[in-house]
Amino acid sequence: MEITWGLLIVIYLFTAGVSAGAMITSNLTLLLGGKDFERVGRWGALISPFPISFGLGVLLLDLGSPFNFYRLFMTLQVRSPMSYGSWAILFFTLLSVVYLYLWLPQKLQIVGEAKALEQWKRRLAKIIPFLSVGVASYTGLLLNAAARPLWAAPLLPVLFLVSALSTGVAAVIFVSAITPWQRARQGELHLLTKVDALLIALECFILLAMIVMGRLSSLSVAAAFGSMIYGQFAFIFWILIVGLGLLVPFSLEYMELKEKFSVRWTLPVTIGSSFLVLFGGFFVRYIITYAGQLTRWF
Amino acid sequence: MTVRMGFVIITSRCIDCDACMVACRAENDVPIGKTRNWVKSSGVQGEFPKVKEVFQPGNCMHCEHPPCVSVCPTGASQKRADGIVIVENSKCIGCKYCITACPYDARFANPETGKADKCTFCLQRLEQGLKPACVQTCLGKSRHAGDLNDPESVVAKLIAKYPSRQLLTYVGTGPNIYYIDEVVPEIPEGK
Ligand code: SF4
Ligand code: SF4
Repeated sequence: MEITWGLLIVIYLFTAGVSAGAMITSNLTLLLGGKDFERVGRWGALISPFPISFGLGVLLLDLGSPFNFYRLFMTLQVRSPMSYGSWAILFFTLLSVVYLYLWLPQKLQIVGEAKALEQWKRRLAKIIPFLSVGVASYTGLLLNAAARPLWAAPLLPVLFLVSALSTGVAAVIFVSAITPWQRARQGELHLLTKVDALLIALECFILLAMIVMGRLSSLSVAAAFGSMIYGQFAFIFWILIVGLGLLVPFSLEYMELKEKFSVRWTLPVTIGSSFLVLFGGFFVRYIITYAGQLTRWF
Repeated sequence: MTVRMGFVIITSRCIDCDACMVACRAENDVPIGKTRNWVKSSGVQGEFPKVKEVFQPGNCMHCEHPPCVSVCPTGASQKRADGIVIVENSKCIGCKYCITACPYDARFANPETGKADKCTFCLQRLEQGLKPACVQTCLGKSRHAGDLNDPESVVAKLIAKYPSRQLLTYVGTGPNIYYIDEVVPEIPEGK
């Protein structure tokens, strides 16, 4: 079969994950870290609305009847992940804009009184994570529901969730390390790097479990996973995802946490490894989307 | 009993003339390069001089549990009470979810309308009491369509008389095309 859902869908799946992950990063650093983690918390909030808005724009371009898209919001089809996912994304995106406003420097907050805004910030930070988990994982359910051998993998939503958290944390590290304004302190980056390394390890584990389960499953499913590990997608899988997207950044982050780099190198390594995590996360969506469509039941 | 519209296709009677594809295109204005139905070849089987090639025509299976319908976010894809699966164009946003979800690749994105497109059982002909265009035109009498639940229908009679198979039953879609591979010398009379 030919490719029905192409790069535009891959971009959407990726950006939705980054936004949800950056949002959770901001929410949790605010609730658990407080003042010490103000910079990464702020950057998470400032980033969050943009990738997903971009992804939604791209998604609209992919529609055959883009002017009909309002039809999505005239109904709720409980059996269609795209239907409840669209609602979740709508609320997520709106709330992420409100949340961004609450993190703006005070002189830019024209509406509202500082103390009330601070309270609202904390309130939202307690609610949005649930929505974010929904946004990050429903894309896995979405592929689950399309009866294709690779997409039938029950761990897909979990893989997408962990990958979303990992790319979200990486996006926050990347931006808050590269910026001249409100640059993150070493302590903040250190903690996020630790979390990201853990998430990468978890992602490796989930990928492994998915592959083992898939290979032990029916012939069609085994063949679909085969296309990833030794078939036409092997290069993307082993080099771009496992190598550059998981093992290299994990090793860099590990050495960084063990303080193997001189001070001069710490920042470039942080920036480099977080970029690689984003890069790998993109190709995770790519390979699942493409290999899923090029393999079929037989 | 409720009506359950479906097809019986006798592979042993198909000569791969592709008239069904032409008839469907003409009847339903299917754009060039896309098709609502097809004839697949088994390829050459066996060894010379005992060789054979089997042709397997197909189209949307109007499944009992159609994944294309359950995934549709707008309710455009529907299964009618008589079992026919259709797309209500005015509701379709062209997200192509249903196309990826069909295990038989029976759907395509229509470049002219921007909507998901597929076999409609020739509803416009059914309303006039006619058979679908592909069935009407089939000169080998390989294709048959009707109410599978009506014992007086040709399709039900064929299924009762000959062993039949469905495609990819383990995916759980409950396809409503029954294939008969045996030689069928006489087509029974019926609705
Ligand atoms: S064959 Fe495909 S398009 Fe037709 S009802 Fe089944 S899943 Fe839907
Ligand atoms: S392309 Fe149209 S019919 Fe198919 S799932 Fe999307 S809205 Fe429904």
